[in-house]
Amino acid sequence: MRYIFKFPDIGEGLEEGVIVQWHVDKGQKIKMGESLVTMETDKVVTEIPSPRDGVIAARYGKEGEVVKVGSALVEIELEGSEVEINETQENKVEAVEEEGAGVVGTLEIASNDFVLSASKEGIGGEVQRNTKERKALATPVARAMAKDLGIDINMVRGTGPAQRVMKEDILNYSKEGSQKPAQAKSSNNDNILEERVEIEQMSQIRKTIAKNMIQSKHNAAHMSVFEEVEISELDRIRKKYKDYFKDENIRITYLSFIVKAVALALKKHKSLNAEMDIEKGIMMYKKYYNIGIAADTEKGLVVPVIRNADKLSIKEIALEIQILADKARDGKLSLDDMKDGTFTITSYGSIGGLFAVPVINYPQAGILGIGRISKQPIVKDDKLDIGLILPLSLSVDHRIADGGETSRFLNTVMSYLQEPVGLLID
Amino acid sequence: MYDLIIIGSGPAGYVAAIRAAQLGMKIAIIEKDRIGGMCLNWGCIPSKSILESVKLYNKIQKDALRYGVEGIDKSALSFNWDKAVLRADQNVKKLTQGIEFLLKKNGAEIINASAKIIDKNTVSVENRTINAKNIIIAIGSTSPMIESEIENLVIEPMDVFKPRILPDNIIIVGEGPVAIELTQAFSLMGKKVSMVLEKDNFMPLADTYLSNYMQAKLKKDRIKLFDNKGDVSIKDDYKDGVLRVGGEEIPCGLIINARHRKANSLSSDIEFELENDYIKVDENFETSVEGIYAIGDVNGKSHFAHIASAEGLFVVNRLNGVNEKIDLSKIPMNMYSQPEAAQIGQTESKLKEMGVDYKISEFPLSANGKAITENSGEGFIRILSENKYGEVLGVQIIANNATDMINEAAAYMQLESTVYDIAKTVHTHPTISEVFMEAGFEAVDHAIHK
Repeated sequence: MRYIFKFPDIGEGLEEGVIVQWHVDKGQKIKMGESLVTMETDKVVTEIPSPRDGVIAARYGKEGEVVKVGSALVEIELEGSEVEINETQENKVEAVEEEGAGVVGTLEIASNDFVLSASKEGIGGEVQRNTKERKALATPVARAMAKDLGIDINMVRGTGPAQRVMKEDILNYSKEGSQKPAQAKSSNNDNILEERVEIEQMSQIRKTIAKNMIQSKHNAAHMSVFEEVEISELDRIRKKYKDYFKDENIRITYLSFIVKAVALALKKHKSLNAEMDIEKGIMMYKKYYNIGIAADTEKGLVVPVIRNADKLSIKEIALEIQILADKARDGKLSLDDMKDGTFTITSYGSIGGLFAVPVINYPQAGILGIGRISKQPIVKDDKLDIGLILPLSLSVDHRIADGGETSRFLNTVMSYLQEPVGLLID
Repeated sequence: MYDLIIIGSGPAGYVAAIRAAQLGMKIAIIEKDRIGGMCLNWGCIPSKSILESVKLYNKIQKDALRYGVEGIDKSALSFNWDKAVLRADQNVKKLTQGIEFLLKKNGAEIINASAKIIDKNTVSVENRTINAKNIIIAIGSTSPMIESEIENLVIEPMDVFKPRILPDNIIIVGEGPVAIELTQAFSLMGKKVSMVLEKDNFMPLADTYLSNYMQAKLKKDRIKLFDNKGDVSIKDDYKDGVLRVGGEEIPCGLIINARHRKANSLSSDIEFELENDYIKVDENFETSVEGIYAIGDVNGKSHFAHIASAEGLFVVNRLNGVNEKIDLSKIPMNMYSQPEAAQIGQTESKLKEMGVDYKISEFPLSANGKAITENSGEGFIRILSENKYGEVLGVQIIANNATDMINEAAAYMQLESTVYDIAKTVHTHPTISEVFMEAGFEAVDHAIHK
């Protein structure tokens, strides 16, 4: 039996994704959960695991090509048993001819509400949920030609009997498609422009960043407050334990402490860990503390999340940061790694900058910016001393958090950082 | 006021009439002779009936004993033309009555009279005029007469299948399917038949490969082909039972006219633009007069009954707002030769002309089990396919029942199928149609039984 695996909606309302890299070839054996392909969507670069055991019978799309949600990604020749066939019977859409030389396969379609989990768990049972979606009616030649020309046959209007997509429809569609860029290029202005600037197609991630930034600036009433905190004590502890965990390959960073401090401070100041739904007229105070860490990657800004940071030890947080940082660097963050953040930390100081006005990761209530740590003269016990100063910039959504509470939250964070022992006690 | 008046009740007119009536149009169909036209009354149907008689006669004579049928006295065996004609008449009657019944059942008004077009909405018939929003001309074609003052020497197409005493030497004048069918049929009856071509094309429209095959077949069956390079003239070339063609003298007791057909003449007060003596039509079969259509032989697009019917359906559907395309290149052509020949799609020379990158996959009937059991291993199938996607661009068949088999190819082509689809279509065994699958295998990789 052939199983046609279609690109599932791995996010909320995702429409398409770009094939970054294939991990399987035609004829290759694959086990359930093993990675088929790396896809870049507007939210994430993620690996799509195989929902079944079997042999790859066909692969659709080349690296760099856009795949619509619901389009076939691979066909898997199942090493299946009768039992499996029976189980999925209800969910099958009519068997369809997939390609000229191919064999009739069984089509199973992920519904819109189906989110493919990044792990192996729970895949087997969930994949088969579907909606009634029909494959475009098309002639074999039209199909072969569409595949060859990289045309999504569902986008082509058929002029044959019963709106069947005919060869001619594909030819016309491909002509229309190729005419558009040609026209754009023919303009003189564009030619001059091309010499002076470098034009690049926006990546899905860049599109998402743009969309989210505007959404945040448009919807949230940004208000910022700046502070400096002296962290000599924190520095002393960090240095001490840095070597302590060296053997375990864990780097204890300032950030691990800050994450913990923020998580604990959020517990005390619930409006900073809240979300507002004006339409429903409700405030939602979250009782989980998932701290997003804005990360600078080659592809752009991504925000992986440390879940339940309030419950993790500093060592655990450090480890988590390390794992996420590695994934972010390799472009391997999954959607699971990035969702459900409740508050965000942006640590630009490691690169440079004392203060900033960070943009809230909407619809969260606040974002804390961490500036560059520097040694500065401080007055301690009426004496001049050398202090280690960490600049903090906090932006909040003033609709959600009032000024007083914002400052009180910042004070709490600062006190944890000044007296790290509090992190253990609270 | 009618919605539609149809002039002529052959396969073009009567099919259009039934369809129009089914769609609720108020229609009149005018026929000056017999319902069913040439095909049903004097062409396809009687000729196929006679052919069955001839084939049976020939098989008994040639194969009976070998097949295990004993007790036949070959010396007493003879072919009774008149009885075969009687059987053909019965078949014709049955079918034409059926069509008359269908026309009436669906509410089409039949007017038995000659028609004359007065203007784009008016037709004169039986000393009165009738009006319609649209008019369809479906008056068919006929072979130009072979002028002769000698009684009973020349038989015109509408008189072929009538009782008569047949002489031993028969000449068929003309080219193409009708001429070849008649030539072979009379030959199988035991007559000495010669075929006299007036034009240089033995099988117009057919792939040269088929044409060559049939020529060789006639030669093998000792049927002589003569090329007159021009119209036969009885006055100049016939004398005392001999017809002279290009310096040769052919014994001749009867001449049958199977000349290339021309449009029948239309009685009309308004003028229609013509093209090679046929009524000129556009891609929707509309004539130069708006609202008047011409379908079937009269527009010169083809001389096949099934194409005429398809045109009729197309026009009526279109008048009712159904806009579909009609692609004449995907309609099969058939010839009731022995063995039968059929073809669909492009010919090899056309593909070359178009510059298509194609391949030909052939499979002979001599390697087909069913054909061998039927003693009909003569023939082949050829599939012409395009190399990139494997689209089936043409199919040619020579086989005893090629005219039935070609419809499978028509379905493939209608669906824009590829050779992979053919190879994938499992055929019942044993059947002659298995050659499709074999040729499909051959196209994709290798035939199994070759």
